[in-house]
Amino acid sequence: MNQWMTEQIHAAHSNRIEPREQAYYDALFEKSKARLESLRAEAPLHEGMDIHAALAEEGMDRRDFMKWASATTATLMLPAMFQPLVAEAAELFNRVPVIWTNLQDCAGNTEALLRTSAPTIDELILDVISLEFHEVIMAAAGHEAEAQLEDAMATFKGRYILAVEGSIPLGLDGQYGVKGPHAETYLDHVRRVGADAFAIVAMGSCAAFGGVPAAYPNPTNAVGVKDVVRGKPIINLSGCPVHPHNITSTIIHVILTGQPPALDNLMRPRFAYGYRIHDNCERRAHFDAGHFVEEFGDHGAKHNYCLYKVGCKGPMTFNNCSIIRFNDGANWPVGVGRGCIGCSEPDFWDKYAHERPVAAGVRMAPFGGVEKSVDYFGLGLLTAVGIGIAVHATASIMAGKKDEENA
Amino acid sequence: MSDRVRIKRMTPAMRIIHWATVFAVIVCVITGYYIAYPFYQAQISVEATESFVMAWNRWGHFISAIILDVTAIWVIYLYFFSRFEKPYKKLLPTRANIVEYGRVVYNLITLNRKPKGFDTRHNDSFNIVNFAILHLMLILMLFTGLQLYVHGFGSGHSAIGAWWPWMLHLVTDWTLWAFGGKVGVRVVHHALMYGILAWAMLHIYYQIWRTIFWREGDINIVFGGEKFARKRSA
Repeated sequence: MNQWMTEQIHAAHSNRIEPREQAYYDALFEKSKARLESLRAEAPLHEGMDIHAALAEEGMDRRDFMKWASATTATLMLPAMFQPLVAEAAELFNRVPVIWTNLQDCAGNTEALLRTSAPTIDELILDVISLEFHEVIMAAAGHEAEAQLEDAMATFKGRYILAVEGSIPLGLDGQYGVKGPHAETYLDHVRRVGADAFAIVAMGSCAAFGGVPAAYPNPTNAVGVKDVVRGKPIINLSGCPVHPHNITSTIIHVILTGQPPALDNLMRPRFAYGYRIHDNCERRAHFDAGHFVEEFGDHGAKHNYCLYKVGCKGPMTFNNCSIIRFNDGANWPVGVGRGCIGCSEPDFWDKYAHERPVAAGVRMAPFGGVEKSVDYFGLGLLTAVGIGIAVHATASIMAGKKDEENA
Repeated sequence: MSDRVRIKRMTPAMRIIHWATVFAVIVCVITGYYIAYPFYQAQISVEATESFVMAWNRWGHFISAIILDVTAIWVIYLYFFSRFEKPYKKLLPTRANIVEYGRVVYNLITLNRKPKGFDTRHNDSFNIVNFAILHLMLILMLFTGLQLYVHGFGSGHSAIGAWWPWMLHLVTDWTLWAFGGKVGVRVVHHALMYGILAWAMLHIYYQIWRTIFWREGDINIVFGGEKFARKRSA
């Protein structure tokens, strides 16, 4: 996009104030171009892994690849002139070392990448990535795996991206989750491996905010990476699971510019989590119209009415799944008539994942548990009575003595 | 009625504010409850492209809320700078105000026991403190409501410029921290509705009770701006 086109767009939307002008993007373009040139000069970390070979193997041509590059440029909210650079960055994926560590979660983010019917270009690019360590998919185990990790950390010190999947349990001094032949706690592990990373990417809601393990009553005292690691750039890619396209787009941004993308107040990339899904929902017209599904299977449900009354949390959830959808753009939760459970928001399991509107409230057992609250109440009452008896008895004894003296 | 004197208590501006607040609160409660839980259905025979039931509810809610917000700012100004009366003086925890507050409460819970021990001609500290509680609730509604409102401005743009969402974030993002995220803000915004409704019930009851038992025509204050008082009061 050249200067003239940009000005035309500005003129067409004169009531809008573009936060970034052409000069910003021109500077970013030159900077990114220089960075890609220096990356290309470096040798690939692993010979024989090439995106174009991988694409050809799956029967995808360059046209498919360039379509993907355009979509990724749009996802990153960059002007169209960046499309060739995005394509080039994808080719240079094998220059960036990644260490992927699995902590307390279901490995669902890894599963989301691996278990699709047809590989998408995102998945192929993540195949090409220089993944130095990933317990779920690597052949090595035990001492061998640990040696691989140590080797990668030493070789790429300060250069690798640490992808963390899963929450960190703090209860029992972290003993709820240990890994490796030396039973290193997740807490020690993420701090040690994170210390030498260029940046840490929290993959999924567990790594970002504690996620499902941190749901009430959070027995392991699980927290996200940002709660235990300080002094490192952390990018939260929340979601349950995180969208693979947002993973590649984030890494592309790091390759392009050498720095993490702009983040929101929850440290999530603005390009992906800057908009509310409600505002880009295909059922939004039914929301404004007042057409609501009353219960699953009714007339409204069959006619794609708004799912707000059966608990869709789209109005409270920031993500781009209503735009890019899942499974190669096939569909997404609201599209299949299920409603959003706000999986990319903190505390989503407690606050979002129910089939009631927010106004119907978060329902809990009385005071957080019948027996628990009764026991606390009983113990408190007994203690109060005991103290009362003790005070009264003491006072009586003292008064009694005085009476004897008086008598 | 020769033993009564006529006393001016509310200026036209104050009465306009009062009734604007009343109607804005009524609209906000009805539309707000619909937004939180759409309790009636739009006609399903009307295409979604031509039906705007939720849209009108949201519009009415936001317009009323803006009226409430602006009148709240006006009221805060008048608390300090009104030329008629400066209510903030009755909010200061001075000995005279605390004594008056206690005596008005005592008068209420003892069903207008005499003598009153306070001057019924001016706005007493009990009333003023109650008004301040309402306005604090309205201000909290303002902050939580505008935080929910700005969620739709993901682009950073608005019809009146980028400064508006920027300012909303600047002024209201603390509520996310204070109330535990977006759901917490929404729960507070919703629960405060009940607080305001309870306040309105008590307020209407008390003003009617005062009219009946004090026999000074207090209910006219909010309509005609005046009440009567005995010449030898207190």
